[in-house]
Amino acid sequence: MASALRAAMLRHIRVPVQTLTLTGCNSQSRILCGSLRSMSSHGDDHLDKEEVIDRVLSVVKDFPKSILPRSVTPDVHFQKDLGLDSLDNVEIVMALEEEFKLEIPDKEADKIDSCNLAIEYIYHHPMSS
Amino acid sequence: MSATAGYLARRAAQKERVRILYRKALKDTLNWAVHRHLFYQDASDLRERFEANKHVEDPDRIDRLIDAGEASYNKWRHPDPYIVPWAPGGSKFTRNPTPPEGIEIIYNYGREDND
Repeated sequence: MASALRAAMLRHIRVPVQTLTLTGCNSQSRILCGSLRSMSSHGDDHLDKEEVIDRVLSVVKDFPKSILPRSVTPDVHFQKDLGLDSLDNVEIVMALEEEFKLEIPDKEADKIDSCNLAIEYIYHHPMSS
Repeated sequence: MSATAGYLARRAAQKERVRILYRKALKDTLNWAVHRHLFYQDASDLRERFEANKHVEDPDRIDRLIDAGEASYNKWRHPDPYIVPWAPGGSKFTRNPTPPEGIEIIYNYGREDND
């Protein structure tokens, strides 16, 4: 993903760079503009929603205690639909944190109880990768 | 009526405390485990310690159990836990942060007028 983006970026970059203007960026060139000032490694590799959904679902499916892993869809509730208890919920959230290299504060992690919430939270988190 | 509401509120608070205690303890178990395969056994033992008191009903006894659990957690807390690099306390925290909105690199700095 990162290498593909890098290759695409290198193909598009023309020197001198000052001819690039920030006005009128469409979505593709905004990615390029964003990458151009990658003086830092922070927040320049945002995930797209499909990938977040895929990876969240695969984590939930691979959770050993979830019954009916086939029926995992983006809107399942961990405890109501998958037959898990609250401690399993804690374990799933921790697995998600490891998958996306996040550190979620305890109080917020406690609120995440369904795939939907997890996807929303991770997608909007600037540091998820 | 209010007694029931008070009881339910107390139970909800207790459940939240247990969840957060379990979360912290599980993370700490991972900190203590040198390898992932050692962690699985430790995590399963930790889970058993929680499951052992699953069916306790008396709220005062639950409070005492949670207090004991938190004391045990604090006693065995890892002195140097793993922190995700960008998080406060992590190795990358505030290093090379994203520049503010609207700041960009001027590549021909100092040569604007000469060219």
